[in-house]
Amino acid sequence: MIKHLIKMVWNRKRVNFLMTLEIFISFLVLFAVILFAVYYTDNYRQPLGFEYRNVWNVSIDRSGIDNKGETVGPEIPPSHLLSNVRDFDEVEDAAGVSLAPYSLSNSNSVIEHNGRTIWYGFNRVTDSFKDVMGLTIVAGKWFGPEDDGANWQPVVINQRLARDMFGSEDPVGKNFPTGNDTDITRVIGVITDFRQDGEYAGLDNYLFFRNDINGAEASPLQNIVVHVRPGTTAAFEEKLIERLQATARDWTFDIEPLTSMREQVSQIRLIPLIAAGVVAGFLMIMVALGLVGVLWLNVTQRTKEIGLRRAKGATARKIHTQILGELVVIASFGLMLGIIVVVQIPILDVISFISARVYAYSLSISVLLIYILTLLCGLYPSRLATRVQPAEALHYE
Amino acid sequence: MAGTNLAVNEDLKSDTDLQKENIMIQLDGVEKVYRTDRIETVALTNINLSVKEGEFISIMGPSGSGKSTLLNVIGLLDVPTAGSLELSGKPVTSYKDRHLARIRNEEIGFIFQTFHLINDLSVVDNVEIPLLYRKMSNSERRKRALRALDRVGLNSRVHHFPSQLSGGQQQRVAIARAIAGNPRVLLADEPTGNLDSQMGDEILEILKDLNREEKTTVVMVTHDPRQAEKTERIVRLFDGRQVN
Repeated sequence: MIKHLIKMVWNRKRVNFLMTLEIFISFLVLFAVILFAVYYTDNYRQPLGFEYRNVWNVSIDRSGIDNKGETVGPEIPPSHLLSNVRDFDEVEDAAGVSLAPYSLSNSNSVIEHNGRTIWYGFNRVTDSFKDVMGLTIVAGKWFGPEDDGANWQPVVINQRLARDMFGSEDPVGKNFPTGNDTDITRVIGVITDFRQDGEYAGLDNYLFFRNDINGAEASPLQNIVVHVRPGTTAAFEEKLIERLQATARDWTFDIEPLTSMREQVSQIRLIPLIAAGVVAGFLMIMVALGLVGVLWLNVTQRTKEIGLRRAKGATARKIHTQILGELVVIASFGLMLGIIVVVQIPILDVISFISARVYAYSLSISVLLIYILTLLCGLYPSRLATRVQPAEALHYE
Repeated sequence: MAGTNLAVNEDLKSDTDLQKENIMIQLDGVEKVYRTDRIETVALTNINLSVKEGEFISIMGPSGSGKSTLLNVIGLLDVPTAGSLELSGKPVTSYKDRHLARIRNEEIGFIFQTFHLINDLSVVDNVEIPLLYRKMSNSERRKRALRALDRVGLNSRVHHFPSQLSGGQQQRVAIARAIAGNPRVLLADEPTGNLDSQMGDEILEILKDLNREEKTTVVMVTHDPRQAEKTERIVRLFDGRQVN
């Protein structure tokens, strides 16, 4: 029967071409939306690597910088700024960080290692950053005073980067080839992860440099992350700003809880996807209505044939199955074309940040949805086909 | 046989004289009424008819006399409003769709005036249609379809499409399709109606051969008295009633 269905559809390819094309285009649109939905969902399910609740970010605008990059007015030592923040009872701990979580600002670098190109994001943080953000050490240790005065630069990397760089070997104590021949960079610890751009961002390699705020090469602070005690109200923001402003009069401070930054990032990620989903949804409705219409016409035009098949021994159920079966074959032709197109994306590595697993899931979901859609569209017309009495159908004009 | 047993009065008494096991088709008091919201059309009234196994009968009557309706009722394509129908002694009137479909598939072969071939399928694929609704391998299905085409002398046209054939050839395909499943009853609704007389005679010859050699029961609706006279018995209808 399957052979017969394929033959029927193939021999009526001119009639079925438009339906195949419609399914092909719908599949491409649906696949694009589902690909990103699955990508975001998959990312969301991965560990974030840090704690954002009860953490506030203080961004520092050192606007008193001249066009040569030199600070106008007194430079405030980072340690002094941090100790001012820690003085408050509402503050559990505070740390300096170059790029705050959820800020959507990134620093990336690339190295060639064992013939492979490895990308990684990096950040510069003070020693208390681990405790403020609740990072989890899985090997080695975090930065501490014992790293002062070392003749190499300590770094902490995430597990993904450790795996990419060192495979199954223990990365702790190994030199990290940053590409800078003069300084030695050594891995002192491994954390689970730090997904700086939040839950929806892709899983990336990550590396922390130490900002030794007591040393000679201390970097100025660009952000301070503050872990406040649970229940701290927004009124504390004002007190904190006042104190910081009193410490550095020429600078501007802006406080925002990470929960609110997280929400903004989520909106930035999800709104385009939701918009695309709505467009795709409308497209699917249009396609569904089109398919129902075409199938209705198709069934009406084939009433005599249906009558003949009934006369030759087909039950109403078999006619129903045949109409739906033909539709599945048409959908399969459209899907085959669609699959040929979409598999080129991972093969040609057009969107490199999406894994093969996400492609496979998206492909399966899209195929399944298209089959469900086409079958739903075929239900009513195929039911119509079985309503006409065989004798009546044979004489239908 | 031809022309000897012409119009026979089809009364219940003569039918009861037949041995029960030899009766292929038995209709008792069959009525068919088509109803719409406003109109009620009586298509058949009190039809009593027995057809013996291996018999070749023709049904004649003017247009609108109920010939095709009667054929449809016998062929289980339409349900009688009243009365009973037995095929091979089985009371099929009460059967459900699935059971009726199986009888249509295994016991009955239809031939239509307008052939009803599917233009998108080749000749052999058309002939295979009734066999699609049986459990059988593709090769067996193909073998039976080719045998049926050979029987009607069309084995050289198996991969042609219906539009590439003459009317006579198309009707042969329809006959091949009807006999591919080895039915015990052939129901032909004006099989020669769309053909010239020579083609019509050829088609009738095929039906007669099938009747003679395969002992297939044939019920043929026709307008052509010349052809009707070549059958064993003629049943005449007028305004939905049997007439002498």
